[in-house]
Amino acid sequence: MATITIKILFFASAREAAGGITSANLELDADGADTQVLRAKLAAQYPKLAPLVQDEENLTLALNEEYVDMGEVKTLSSGDTVALIPPISGG
Amino acid sequence: MADSSSTIEPLSDGKQPPSSFKQPLNDNTSNYLIQVSNTLPSHHEIQQFLTASNCGAISTFTGITRDNFAGKKVTALSYEGYTPMAIKELTNLCRDAHVKYPNVARMVAVHILGDCPVGEASVVVGSSSPHRREAIACTEYLIDELKGRVPIWKKEIYEGDEESVWKENVEWKDGRRRRVMVKEES
Repeated sequence: MATITIKILFFASAREAAGGITSANLELDADGADTQVLRAKLAAQYPKLAPLVQDEENLTLALNEEYVDMGEVKTLSSGDTVALIPPISGG
Repeated sequence: MADSSSTIEPLSDGKQPPSSFKQPLNDNTSNYLIQVSNTLPSHHEIQQFLTASNCGAISTFTGITRDNFAGKKVTALSYEGYTPMAIKELTNLCRDAHVKYPNVARMVAVHILGDCPVGEASVVVGSSSPHRREAIACTEYLIDELKGRVPIWKKEIYEGDEESVWKENVEWKDGRRRRVMVKEES
């Protein structure tokens, strides 16, 4: 089955939960690749990140530098960049 | 140097300002000073950028690292940012502010990354307009929205063995809820 590669960026508490890595490439089956599937895959790959990445209240995704709204599932294509955005705290 | 100051003028009586003060909506990003980096521009540079010949008001807000949180002594703050997206969001934020406050001529939105010692500025936002009310309102809008949508994170580092903590802005959760509501309405 064809796969696609997604670039993942980890920030703040998500970065720490993933063991301090700032980015990684992740392969997904091309068929049905979306943000929900990606969350499940990240949870399996980084067990310490699982509680955060599976909780949409506490972890937002940004697809190609745009927030994915709560309740929304986005289709993913090869070459997409997805950032893991824990609650922000600038200011 | 006059911070948050403006020329003295009579209170608005609800009438529109003279048309000569109406600027065409200027979406030119050269009117925005946007920066996300390890250093902030100086106070002087910011004031200079905001100065425009048709503007009688400059309003700025500076956020500074506090030395305490919930009885714990804070020694430093460390900021991390998703820089390209933060710059994009700050630019969008200035554009939104321009629609809301069309007479504003220039805007500044700058945020520090990395360590920020206690007493140092971490963020400056500001705007200039012909009369004070619009600049003051715009500046407040800029800082509220920045805290609600710009992907930057702050870790508080405490004195002693106290474990450092990633902070969360209340404006973030409010903002997410609002964005979903706006979408459902439209």
